[in-house]
Amino acid sequence: MAGTVSVKFYGLMRRRVERTGLEVPADGVTVLALLRLAEERAGRTFLDELLDREEGLLTGTIILVNGENVRLKDGLRTRVRAGDIVDLFSPAGGG
Amino acid sequence: MNGWTGKIVKVDLSRGTRESVDVGDSARRRYLGGRGLGVRLYADLCPVPKDPLAKENALLFLTGPLTGTLMTSGRTQVVSRSPLTGTICDSSSGGNFGAALKGAGIDGLVIQGRAPGPVYLRVHEGEVEVRDASAFWGLDTQKTQKGILEEAGARASVACIGPAGENQVPFAAIMNDKDRAAGRGGLGAVMGAKNLKAVAASGNRAVDIADPAGYKDLASRVDRAVDKNPVTGKSLQVLGTSVLVNVINAHGMYPTENFRRGIFNDAEGTSGEKIAETLLLRQSSCFKCPIGCGRTTRTKNKHGEGPEYETVWAFGANLGISDLAAIAEANYACNELGLDTITMGGTLGCAMELAEAGAWPAGPKWGEAGRLLEWVTETAYRRGVGAELALGSKRLAAKRGRPELAMQVKGMEIPAYDPRGAQGMALSYATSNRGGCHMRAYMIAPEVLGHPVFLDRFSTAGKAELVALFQDISAVVDSAILCRFLQFAVGISTFAEMLRVVTGLDFSDEELLSIGRRVYTLERLFNAKAGFGRADDTLPPRFFDEEFQTGSSRHRRVRLEEMLDEYYAVRGWDPDGRPMPQTLAELGL
Repeated sequence: MAGTVSVKFYGLMRRRVERTGLEVPADGVTVLALLRLAEERAGRTFLDELLDREEGLLTGTIILVNGENVRLKDGLRTRVRAGDIVDLFSPAGGG
Repeated sequence: MNGWTGKIVKVDLSRGTRESVDVGDSARRRYLGGRGLGVRLYADLCPVPKDPLAKENALLFLTGPLTGTLMTSGRTQVVSRSPLTGTICDSSSGGNFGAALKGAGIDGLVIQGRAPGPVYLRVHEGEVEVRDASAFWGLDTQKTQKGILEEAGARASVACIGPAGENQVPFAAIMNDKDRAAGRGGLGAVMGAKNLKAVAASGNRAVDIADPAGYKDLASRVDRAVDKNPVTGKSLQVLGTSVLVNVINAHGMYPTENFRRGIFNDAEGTSGEKIAETLLLRQSSCFKCPIGCGRTTRTKNKHGEGPEYETVWAFGANLGISDLAAIAEANYACNELGLDTITMGGTLGCAMELAEAGAWPAGPKWGEAGRLLEWVTETAYRRGVGAELALGSKRLAAKRGRPELAMQVKGMEIPAYDPRGAQGMALSYATSNRGGCHMRAYMIAPEVLGHPVFLDRFSTAGKAELVALFQDISAVVDSAILCRFLQFAVGISTFAEMLRVVTGLDFSDEELLSIGRRVYTLERLFNAKAGFGRADDTLPPRFFDEEFQTGSSRHRRVRLEEMLDEYYAVRGWDPDGRPMPQTLAELGL
């Protein structure tokens, strides 16, 4: 079996999905594909917390791959490998 | 008059005299109110910097033209020279107190002198009465507020000091409406030095609105924008500000054990998500606020307000403590004693590193959650280890021979974002007019949170200009006065519109920004007179010399020199950081 990517949910995402994270069997897929796989595996939809209707990242959405923001890479087309950790934060603020 | 009342009352506590002053239309147009007008009046009253605790020093409580009107407009700005930093300082507090001052018929108070014994000010129907506060001296902030409300009427709003302010701890807070704090910069100590225990305000004077129909329409539009925005309409409501714990930790820039590491292994256990699951009783809101970021919480022993993001960090990761109940109870104690939680935690972090390094063998030790309450209490009363903690980190570390271990700028402790993880935030800390503060230019918004645009946090390109712009906008919001969190939902054009419907005056975006620039430059001028210059626009050596070894901020250092000259150039200041004559002329200073 191929390896897995660890997907972690924070903030409002966590309440929506009702879990802190899950392991998604994936290797070499895009972040967008990974998110869809994660939705399937979680049995809950959550993409609307992160993306707009055109599947662009909402202002304030943070997706980190191994701590690096995908906005500094290829956005939702960033490829993830087995063993990677993906952190998902719906828009948040404070101070 | 629309917006403003046009009346500011000057009180001389030494003589017991009061006098009404009208600052005039021009000053209102050029400085608005709040921080801007407060700094202008302060600079006129104290052109030569005074000892912050001397009776000659002035202390101002200011409202703004928007105070008491639209959403989030209950705030107050307190202005003086800080006993912690020696810089000009304004400290902002939420709650209802600002709206109450306006309702009592005044735009603000200017307080000088020193009362012969404890007093409080009662503001009502445009009049200010000096009352005996002997019965309240020595009481904590909660008992003080309760007692004064019994005397002044339950509908009043009270701002007061606790034991820390009475004992002139240089990071004593002023607390109002139970647990809202003008926390940073120690202006509670200035109150204590004046024997001023509290200010109570009440009244039903409605703010005159220039364009009632436009006001109503704008209020519903801003309400919709706040509701639609995922931060103001959802995240802050449900999870409060501590939602940032996991966000900042995941970026490897969550300061841990006095900024020695950027990842706290127990972050999850002290996060906003965890608070919501464990301590949270209900959310709480300030005057006319649709956001409601406040947290009313309870532990097994007590209930109270907080902890919010900065406090959960200051007493948590910063001290190697993951006991959420102990953190909350330390927060409650700071509220009661009247202490700034950020400087309290920052000083404890410094003390713990000093202790570990052998520079203060009797000092507090990492992770001792069970002693937090004792340390906080001793600080407010300046006894035991608290006698030294009450110095604040800069003076404490200098006294112990290790000044580099104080994580401060200009004497104010840096809050919960490690500057190695965000270069713009580093420049913001270094150039803040009141020292190590995140609120002058909150660069975490673009550099981490992606508001209003996303920027590369490790790049220095363009950061100088943006920091200056953010500083100017913040000065406008603090002068109008509104809550900064509104900025997640609306921008400067909306603030101009709010000012128009309330005051009837048209402000272009450019004019508002020039007001912000004027305020920032005036603050800088005062600081220059007080001896601050380029050498003070810096950070502790740790941020230039030491790197994290793990996490996504590893192997990074602050590159301040790449930004500082450009920042001064953007500001129209000389290479020593002093405003140039041409800049002053352009701003009418």
